[in-house]
Parts: sequence; C-alpha cells; structure tokens
Amino acid sequence: MGGLAVIAVAAAAFWLVRDLPGGDGGGMGPGTLPKGLALLLGVLGLALAIGSFLERGLPLGRWSVRGPLLILGALVVFGLAVRPLGLLVAGPLAIVVGAFASSEVRWGETLVFGALMTAFCIGLFKFALGLPIPLAPWLLGY
Amino acid sequence: MKHILASLMLSLFSGIAAAQAYPTRPVTLIVPFAAGGPTDIIARITGEYYSKTLGQQFVVENVAGAGGTTGITRGAQAKPDGYTIMMGHMGTHGAAPALYANLKYDPVKDFQPIGLVAGTPILIVARKDFPAANLKEFVAKLKDPAAKVKQAHAGVGSVSFTTCTLLTSQLGVKNIVAAYRGTGPALNDLIGGQVDYMCDQIVNLVEQVKGGSIKAYAIAIPERSPALPDVPTTKEAGLPEYQVSAWNALFAPKGVPKDVAAKLSDTLVKALDDEATRKRLLELGSVIPGKAGRSPQALQKLVESEVARWTPILKSAQQQPAPQ
Amino acid sequence: MEFLGHLALGFATALSPMNLLLAFIGCLVGTLIGVLPGVGPIATIAMLMPLTLKVDPTGALIMLAGIYYGAQYGGSTTAILLNIPGEVTAVVTAIDGHEMAKKGQAGTALGIAALGSFLAGTVATLVIAAIGAPLTKLALLFGPAEYFGLMVFGLGLAIVLARGSVLKAVIMVVLGLLLATVGTDLETGQDRLTLGIAELSDGVDFAVLAMGVFGIAEILRNLEHPESRDVAVSKIGRLLPSLADPRRSLGPIVRGTGIGSVLGILPGNGAVLGPFASYALEKKLAKDPSRFGKGAIEGVAGPESANNAGAQTSFIPLLTLGIPPNAVMALMVGAMTIHGLIPGPQVMLKHPTLFWGMIASMWIGNLFLLIINLPLIGLWVRLLKVPYRLMFTTILLFCAIGIYSINNNPYDVYFTAFFGLAGYVFIKLGLEPAPMLLGFVLGRLMEEKLRQALALSEGSFMTFVERPVAAGLLVFAAAVMVIAVLPAVSRSRAKAFQE
Repeated sequence: MGGLAVIAVAAAAFWLVRDLPGGDGGGMGPGTLPKGLALLLGVLGLALAIGSFLERGLPLGRWSVRGPLLILGALVVFGLAVRPLGLLVAGPLAIVVGAFASSEVRWGETLVFGALMTAFCIGLFKFALGLPIPLAPWLLGY
Repeated sequence: MKHILASLMLSLFSGIAAAQAYPTRPVTLIVPFAAGGPTDIIARITGEYYSKTLGQQFVVENVAGAGGTTGITRGAQAKPDGYTIMMGHMGTHGAAPALYANLKYDPVKDFQPIGLVAGTPILIVARKDFPAANLKEFVAKLKDPAAKVKQAHAGVGSVSFTTCTLLTSQLGVKNIVAAYRGTGPALNDLIGGQVDYMCDQIVNLVEQVKGGSIKAYAIAIPERSPALPDVPTTKEAGLPEYQVSAWNALFAPKGVPKDVAAKLSDTLVKALDDEATRKRLLELGSVIPGKAGRSPQALQKLVESEVARWTPILKSAQQQPAPQ
Repeated sequence: MEFLGHLALGFATALSPMNLLLAFIGCLVGTLIGVLPGVGPIATIAMLMPLTLKVDPTGALIMLAGIYYGAQYGGSTTAILLNIPGEVTAVVTAIDGHEMAKKGQAGTALGIAALGSFLAGTVATLVIAAIGAPLTKLALLFGPAEYFGLMVFGLGLAIVLARGSVLKAVIMVVLGLLLATVGTDLETGQDRLTLGIAELSDGVDFAVLAMGVFGIAEILRNLEHPESRDVAVSKIGRLLPSLADPRRSLGPIVRGTGIGSVLGILPGNGAVLGPFASYALEKKLAKDPSRFGKGAIEGVAGPESANNAGAQTSFIPLLTLGIPPNAVMALMVGAMTIHGLIPGPQVMLKHPTLFWGMIASMWIGNLFLLIINLPLIGLWVRLLKVPYRLMFTTILLFCAIGIYSINNNPYDVYFTAFFGLAGYVFIKLGLEPAPMLLGFVLGRLMEEKLRQALALSEGSFMTFVERPVAAGLLVFAAAVMVIAVLPAVSRSRAKAFQE
C-alpha cells in the first residue's frame, strides 16, 4: 500500500518537472535533480510495494476521517480568518472547530477555555511582543 | 443655501481635521525582506522617526519572499487609507517586471510614491588576491576569456544579481556565474577565494573592505563615499557608464487621500534632515538624496526610468543560458 | 595563553550588573517564548529583537544571545514534551526525547538536555576563546565542493536515524530531497514544482514542514489513541536524572560537544548536522542499538550537547568575519547594524569589550539556562497532566499563530495543514518523518553546493576528485551509507535463510 502511494507521488513530481531543461546528461539544469529524484523515488516505491507483497507486514490501522478533517479544518479556518477578521475571531473559531475533532470534548469548558486562551494569546503576541497580527480589523481597524 | 454652505464647510473642516488627525492608530510599514537586511534596517530607522514625530507607532511587518515581490504585492492590494505603507527598492520597483512573468503589480501605476529614503551604492569587489590592481586591469581580465573570471551573486532577483548583470552587459562579457542563496554564503566564498568577484550594496561589504578580507575596485556613484574614502568612483576609474545605486523608497497603495500622502512625504523630508536619522543612515554607507530628489514626483520619475532601464538588460540576460 | 586575559576582560564586562540582568532576562524570555509550540528560535529572536533596541549595543547583543539559547532550549523542551521540533536541531531530540516522555521519563530527558547543553556550552566557550580566530581561516577552505561532500555525508547519517526499515528511511530521505527542490531554481529563476502557487516560489518553509509533519500529525495520532496517551502521563516518574543516567550520558555529551563545536564553525549552517551526527555515532557505539528510537538517554544527551556547542561556535564566523553562518546569525547581524555596529573582521580589534564580553556572557547565559530550567522542568511536567481535550486545542492555536507570525502569510498555515495530513498518512503507512526532514534540509544546501561547484568548475565533475577534502568526505559518506545499509541487508538475508 505504502509503495503504491510512493510511486504515485514520484510520478506526479516527474510529470510536474517534465518541462524543465536538464537531465539529459548535457549538464545540470533546473530539472535534473527533481527528475532524478522522482525517478529514484519511483524505483524505491516499487521496491517497497514488491516487498510488502512478499512479506507479511503489519496490517494498516483504521483511518479516521473526523479527526484529521477537523484539526486541519481548524488550521485552514484560522488562516482564512486571521487577516480579514483578526485574532479575536480567528482564535476562538479555530479552537471551536478543532474541539469538534475529539469526542471527549465538553462544550462549556471548551468555550470558556477557548476564550481564555485567545485572550492570553492576544495579550502575549499582540501587546507584550508587538507582533503585527491583525486583532480585529472589522472592529478596531487593526 | 446656508445649510449647503454649512455642510460644505463642515466636510471641508472634517477633511482637514482628518488629515490633521492622521494617524490615529498604528501604521503598518511592510518590508518585503527578512529582518536584519539593509532594506529592513533603513526602514526601521525611518519608521522610528515617523513614530516619534507623528505620535503613532509605525510597525515594521516583514513579509519576505520572491525577491521582495510578495510583500509589495500585499502592500499594493492593501486598503489605501494610509495605514499600510511599504518600503520598496530598486529590485521590487525597478527590476521586478523584467524578472517575474506573473508580477501582480505595476510599479509605475499601482502606487502613490511617498519619497526616496536612501540609496545604497554598489561596489565592485574582488577576492583579495585577484590579479588586478585597479578597475582598468580588472575589466581587462573580465574581457579575457582565458582568465575564466568567476562571479558570485546572491540569487536571481537579488541586488547583486541585477547589478552585476548590468556590468557584464555593459561590457559585453560573459563570465562563469555561481548562484548563492543570499549574500552571506556568496561573501563567504569570495573571502575564501572560491569565486573572484561580486557587485553588491556597500552596507554588506564595508567592514570587509576595511578589514582587508576583500578589495574594492570602484563605487558606482558620482562621488566617493565617506564610508570608504579610498575607493575610486567608476567615473574616476574609467568606467563612467556604470552608475547604479540600490535605492530604497517609501510607497503607499494608489488611492491614498492626498493630504495623508502629503503628510507622509513631508515627514520623510524632515526625517532626512534630522541629525540622528541622518547619522545612522550615513553610518551604513547609504546615500541620502538631496532636497531635489525627495519629492514624490522625483520618485515616480525614478521608478519609470528604472523600469525602462532594467527591462531590456535583464530580459536579454535571461535568454542566454547559464554558461556550463 | 593570552586568551585567558581576553576572557578576564570579557567576564569583567559580562558580570556587570546591567549585563547580567540583560542576560537573565534574555534567557528567561527566550525560553518562555521558545517553549511555545510553533515558535522556533528564529521566530523568537525576530519577535523579541525590538526589545533589545532600547539598550546599548553590548547589552543588546548579550540579551539577544540569551534569547537565542533560551529559545533553543525552549524548542528542545517542546520537542521532548510534545514531539514538535521548533527548528532543525530539535528534530533529533524529539525522536528519543519524546519517547522518554511517553515512558514517564520527561523530567530525566529535560534534565539531561539541560546538563548536556551546559557542559557543551562551557567547552564551546573555551574553544571560541582560545582558537576561534584561527579556526575561521580553516573554515574558509571549505568551498562548494567540500560542502557538497559534507552534505552527502549527512545524508548517510539520515539513513542511520531510521528506527525501522532502511528502505522506508531511504524513501523518506529522497522524499525530503524532492521537497527541497520546490521553489525557484537558484540559477535560472524558473519555478519548479510550485503548482503555480506564488507562495511556494520560495520553497517550503522548514518550520511549516516540521510543524505539520511532527506536531499536527502528533495531535491527530493522540486523538485517535486516547488510551496510550493517558497511561504515559500518569506515570510522571523522577524529575531529576538518577545516578545511572549521568554516567551513561557522559560519553555522548563529550562526543556530542566535539562534533557540534567543529561543525558549528563551518559557515553555511554546518551546525545543523551536529545533532544528527551525534545521534548516529551514539547509535553505532551503543551496546544495544535497538534501544535507540524507543527512549535511549544517549539519544538525547549527545545531540543536545552537539546542538548547543554548534549554536555557540556558530557565533565565531559572525564575530570574526562578520558573516552570518545561518539565519539566526543573520538576524544578529541586523541587530548589530541597527545599533551602529557593523560586523566585520575588525570587530574583534575595534570593539574588544563587545567581543569578549559576548563570549563570556555566552557561558553565563548557559549557566542561567540551567538555573532557570531545572525548576521549570517540574512545571512543564505537571502541565502534561492537563486533560488532553483542553490541551490539544491550545497547542493548535499556538501552532497557528506561531506559523502565521513567521511571515505574516496565511498560506503558511494552509501548508502546515497539508503537511499535517501528509504526516498522518506517513504514520499510517509506517513511514518516519525524521529522515525526511533531514533530507529536506540537506537537500537545499546540497543542490546549491553541487550547482555552485559545477558552475565554478565549468561543468567538470572531476572537481570532486581533485579537491582532497571533498573527495575525502565523499568517500566517508559512502562508507557511512554502506555501514547503515549493511545490517539491514544481512538481517534480511538471515531471515531468508531461516525460511
């Protein structure tokens, strides 16, 4: 399974750099290293795939969807929100979305904690350190 | 009638009041390079003066990337209310159109120029044992293909790249060129003797030249620099056409209210006259523009002429494959 | 022995009450900020630099140096406790350090890291004082070809880092190398592998990669396996190392210091290799190499010492030549310049109080770090007891803010998410992230040096053979790779014979 994934990545990389000069042995060009590496990766991936057929490896664990989706979603949300909406909104938003990822979460304490953490971060990053992170552009203009 | 007059007066006064009031909150000064480089330092020195004089913090925000174009793109697209300004330089507002095919801004059209801040003159430097005693001999070596002179630069799009390309294209020579990631490694190999020469801003080189680890052939401005009084100008040394200075300037996005822009420009003019600010800028080896060069109109003219200058040179240099 | 005189001058400067205070504040603040997940030394220094503008140049530099060490140690703390390395050198610490934390030995890991770093720092300070200046001349001999040899050697080390199958480790290294090629090409300025996304044209940021593949993936893993998590936390265990641990760690610390000191002097970030080399060495020297990767204390002691020794000796090129060997030192250059002190070869002569004062305060900084951090260990370990359901959202937020603040670019946050996903996939497939990170870091340097070496030799590969140091390193590298691969090959052959 892993081997197939690796081969896929290698193929994708190779396809992306196919236009770049180099790799013909005529000297190093921008494409030489990526092409060479992609090729190498493909070969290794093949070796891995073959190997996993010959031996009995560990079975793949279950893949969960909810956890990754929400944690990554939280990050994306933060990235989207931080410039237009500022830390004030992006912070709690990210925490809330992220909190959904765990089934153990209790809502009351998450919301309180989220607010507290955001306040702490604001205090630390904005005021103590003076970082240029937008606070609440829609409210305060900065 | 009276009401109309009153409301007219009111809007006039509030307009003036707004200008008087600007700035009412911190201003972001985007520096499109990493903290600690020459442009960043110049920006911080200038920003400090603004903060002190205008009473609101001018906060430097470093947005590095793609030779400075990432930060400038951000600045160009910012709201034109005067609360986001940026420090551009010869690379971002002169050479960029030639180097970046997908450039998302037009240096000539998308900005309200505030003013030139300081220029950092370019030096031609070589490793200390290079067999040429002055610029004339150096040029002779450059033109001699058997000498195999090796040039270093800090990466495509950097000041050292564009300025050395100018030199080689003016002289009509092709050298061996080695690309580095940044001035530090390039300078390191120059001192170590792995490469032969570089063209870079005086700020990065002044201490090395003074210390003797590299030697300077010429400085590419009309007059000698007080930081390195022994280095002849290109005019004196026989290459008068090579005149280049990595200029740094403040811009605001197009559409900033006229009075805000005027205030920013006026304060800049005063900053460049301020004792303390001048001292720090001059210590770096930078050149402060004279009174005539400080106006927004002068800056706009400079941008236009720079774009015109660099585009043909850099485009033709890029079409030649790197010599292998 | 004139360097003793210099040191005396240095200590006189560094021990002034003002400078002592500044060093202390620097270390304290640096540690606290460096501990925040997502915030590595570079980000910390950049954030705190404005604070130093208010003081005189010597004091400012002392404070900055304190911030730097503090941030480095803080980064190691996060690496051990949360498996989130803030910068390259913390990656190795995270491998065995975090395993130790999971076994309830977090206190020991942190303690040994602090002690090792202190001892390394002491030695490094002496090295700098005594032979700093002449050493730089040696470093200048390193041209692109030699660096290339060094990098290839480093790649060999990356393979040794692997816990599991060698094949998978090699795959990860190659993947890392491939990732390193993303961005604009050095020589021609063409975009490679950027998928048309402008934000990728400067390549992938290490912090983003490390954060995603280590940190976020770790969060995801912990969310899936609540059982394994709680067990580790409840066994807090000893706060300070037992008696056996220092004895086992002494060798690694000494060796790590040596390796780190030498590599740190090389301009161009040779210090990066230090921890990796130390780890590889200790794994080879150990009587039971299989302990590595599961929480062997030597895997923390050696690399941490190499780490700190490298950090200190990397000041040498800066102070003697004026050339910053890595991004952190570049920030220092900026700080010095803002204060009107342009670094260059003459700094040592023109500003002896600054130069020697800085060196002396390096040692003092190390001392402060020890004093500050040992009590803090108890605090951190107790923090681990906070229920995970509250912790992970906090970690997430800090990561997001930290990553964003590097370049004020939301795309960095998106990429972190992407790499988090990738990291999760890696875990599921049994592929380890550490070799990939090393491959990534080495990849950029390696290609740069290779292209430069070839450009300077006009395309001749013979340059690697003609230059003795380069040739030697390449041979060494080949040897390392063979040694790394050999046990795996013989193991599989043994298995084949058994069947």
